[in-house]
Amino acid sequence: MNIKNFVLRAINGSKARIWIMTFGALLCLVLIGTFNTVSNYTSTDSYCMSCHIHPWAEESWKLGPHHNNRTGVSVKCVECHLPPKGEGFLLAKAKHGANDVYGYLFKDHSKINWESKRLLENAKGFTYEKSCIKCHSNLFPVTLSVNGSNAHLAYINAKEEPKPNCINCHLNVGHFDKNAKHEHDTNFGVDAAANQEKFSNATKVDKFENFTEKIPGTTVAFDMVAIPEGTFNMGSPDNEPLRKPDEGPVHKVKLSKFWMGKIEVSWNEYLAFFQATASQGRTEGQILKNKNVDAITGPTPPWGAPDQGWGKGSRPAITMSWRAANTYCEWLSKVTGKKYRLPTEAEWEYACRGNTSTPYFFEGDPNKFTSKGILKKIFGPDTTNISSHVVYMVNSSSKTQDPASVSENPFGLKNMAGNIAEFCSDFYRPDAYKTETGLVVNPKGPETGQGHVMRGGSFKSDAKDVRSAARDFTKNEAWLVTDPQMPKSVWWYSDCIDNGFRIVCEADSIK
Amino acid sequence: MENDSKNINRRKFLGASVLAGIGVAGAGAILSSCSKKLDNAALGLPPILKGAPKGRKLRAGLVGAGNRGTGAAINFISAGPDLEIIALADVFQDKIDNCRKRFESFDLPIPAENCFVGFDAYKKLMAMPEIDVVICATPPQFRPEHFLEAVTNKKHCFLEKPVCVDPVGARLMIATAKKAEALGLCVVTGTQRRHQEDYIETYKQVANGAIGKLISAKAFWNQEHVWFRTREEGWNDMEYMIRNWNNFCWLCGDHILDTHVHNIDVINWFMGKHPEKAIGYGGRARRVTGDQYDYFSIDYDYGNGVSSHSMCRELDSCANGTGEIINGTEGYTNCINTIWNLDGTVKWKFEYPKDENGNTMNTIKISPYVQEHMHLVHAIRTGNYVNEAERTAISTLTAIMGRTAAYTGQLITWDAIMKSDMDLGPKKIEFGPVDMVFETPLPGTPAHV
Repeated sequence: MNIKNFVLRAINGSKARIWIMTFGALLCLVLIGTFNTVSNYTSTDSYCMSCHIHPWAEESWKLGPHHNNRTGVSVKCVECHLPPKGEGFLLAKAKHGANDVYGYLFKDHSKINWESKRLLENAKGFTYEKSCIKCHSNLFPVTLSVNGSNAHLAYINAKEEPKPNCINCHLNVGHFDKNAKHEHDTNFGVDAAANQEKFSNATKVDKFENFTEKIPGTTVAFDMVAIPEGTFNMGSPDNEPLRKPDEGPVHKVKLSKFWMGKIEVSWNEYLAFFQATASQGRTEGQILKNKNVDAITGPTPPWGAPDQGWGKGSRPAITMSWRAANTYCEWLSKVTGKKYRLPTEAEWEYACRGNTSTPYFFEGDPNKFTSKGILKKIFGPDTTNISSHVVYMVNSSSKTQDPASVSENPFGLKNMAGNIAEFCSDFYRPDAYKTETGLVVNPKGPETGQGHVMRGGSFKSDAKDVRSAARDFTKNEAWLVTDPQMPKSVWWYSDCIDNGFRIVCEADSIK
Repeated sequence: MENDSKNINRRKFLGASVLAGIGVAGAGAILSSCSKKLDNAALGLPPILKGAPKGRKLRAGLVGAGNRGTGAAINFISAGPDLEIIALADVFQDKIDNCRKRFESFDLPIPAENCFVGFDAYKKLMAMPEIDVVICATPPQFRPEHFLEAVTNKKHCFLEKPVCVDPVGARLMIATAKKAEALGLCVVTGTQRRHQEDYIETYKQVANGAIGKLISAKAFWNQEHVWFRTREEGWNDMEYMIRNWNNFCWLCGDHILDTHVHNIDVINWFMGKHPEKAIGYGGRARRVTGDQYDYFSIDYDYGNGVSSHSMCRELDSCANGTGEIINGTEGYTNCINTIWNLDGTVKWKFEYPKDENGNTMNTIKISPYVQEHMHLVHAIRTGNYVNEAERTAISTLTAIMGRTAAYTGQLITWDAIMKSDMDLGPKKIEFGPVDMVFETPLPGTPAHV
């Protein structure tokens, strides 16, 4: 019998069905086997790392506690970066795989902002909480500290969004970050400029013009810019590209003259306040009780590193609460004898515009600057003009930048747009402008609202959100999700890294 | 890293912890989803035992050898065979001596070298490797740290109620309860109503729909004044306060915790949850020592229009009584033995056993104080796991929420009290003078929650 006959008989013969079924079953087994082999092979660390050539992926993993630990257990890439098998493993693998292959083949790796991938909100996109819990099923090991217990109780009891995610607190456990701290930093700001000569008096101001303020008892000085009185159109017109409804209607506002900080309050300035007033060793509750004593009580030691390890100096101070920013102004007024405070929303927009009425205080179209949309993903946004004036999503490397990196606005102020979102004294209401009619003089905003106004966008913002009229507001609960203290800090936000403030000085501070 | 044995996702984890916190889903919640009669196991109820089962010898140490502690230790050895008390810890030598004498009178002497005195005595006792079970019966101020030490030393626990006096302690209790659960350590708390057969059978009736949907409740513990000690010569501040602990809030938590927590716990049990907020008042009329109130009246809001009126009073010559009433859409119950229809006719009554003369008794045969120890020993010896610490911490925190509402005059939410950093008492616990001011709380004045 030759092979041809054998095959023909198998197909046509009485036993054909059995043969076909057997063959089918075998084929299935082979396919399943192959699929498993491929799936397993493509889930090994060496396979992952054959493409994931971005800096420090492998090195930082090896230094981190998921590889470098006393148990000798090494956790593999896919055990954190994919959900557990049977809980969306294959789907996620296909999704990330397609995305990564596309990026590997068609993108310029040197232009990818790897640093920003490590930020919490981005990391949430490719780190799976289910996978954390799969291994860490006991959230209350007997060695857990009281703070840890409180944090885990808050985690399992969280009912309302935003719910905390494991990596809200444990962001750096997969990939080591030498700057990350998970403790009260009691040495925070202690050593700054110890040997320099300290100012004994604040600057005396007798004319309404630019001046450099000196903080008595410190080595810190900063520039204040005289902003002339004037009238301007507040808000954005209906035809401004990419505007939001809360920016209208446009209304006329008249403002008295005032001074405004040339740059956002820097770490140098904020640390002077911190050192002078820090309430080390006291609990938040005790401080609230002591509200009425003469001395100004300042921040508790921060949790972790408020500067995110980016450096302090003249970079803007960040992560302080709105309340802390107000306490700073109170303190600064006391030590300088002038009247410092947060700007009103109207003062802020007037100062930002510098007599312009265009979307930005420089020439340009929000539609061209924005990074949103598929075409922008492929061809990239226009950065002419904006990049030299604004620290935003495209040029920030996901960090605050030194004010030296940008040019001034028409009033001589820096970083009005971008870098950090700035507190205003007004409450935020989306319909705040709707009630304003005629010429409004020195408005102070609505009586109440959801949080306080924030302006200018930040290093995280898209170009559309750094327009002069763009509005935002504080989100107290969301910004304290992972604060392990009970009650939560009134001085520092644990979950917001792009907020800060700028001060104004009232014109009648002239002596 | 595969770990199939404990492969829980977050949703499951949450579900489990919520159930553990309250017991089961509550009497009202269950009836809506079930037509079949549910038994003890399905309702998360303890077995009713005639005695603890035989098994390996269990040696217990008693921390807090006062009146209730000695009582609890005797309840423990009465629960079944091969149960021993082998060590004592207390801050006072005389308490140790009295307790030892009691045990000597039973011909069950406790060796002197196993008796520890002082504020760190509990640590020495819990470090003893031969001890399997720790009975914690000090004033509740100390319970959280004692429980943590016991669990760290891998001991099963019996904890007297209440289990803390402030939210910081409550959170430590809950976290430690979860640690105990992870280690498989059994914990029973002294909430004896939950171990009482009449209460359990009434709960089953309600859970199976006997009074319909639960719509309101009332809980009350109104009694004569309780004991107090006047200061004796030679007692320093700390010694005086601990000997008179029942009259200082930082040690006792006030009587809304000390006694009324039993009633509050029953309402939480039947409702299947803790209240969402509390508003209430109270005051001090006749007390002669300490800083506590004589009476409280609290409205606990359980959400969806359901509320419970909680009242407790310690004053002589007033209308007294203790118990609970729960009203449903189809009837009402006293939670202990009777269900009434809406027209006041009796729908169901628990059948109490008969005594040797054939007369119906008015209580169950086995004391619930012993029954709860039988339950603990049963759990340890048979592997039917029990851990009541979290739910008792939640009931204690419910009482703390009510107390704070009365002391401050404010509306207190569960969220606020759960996150509060209220931590009563001096930072350092040692004999000698104590720098504390004991003002009776005045509602409406600034207060720290």
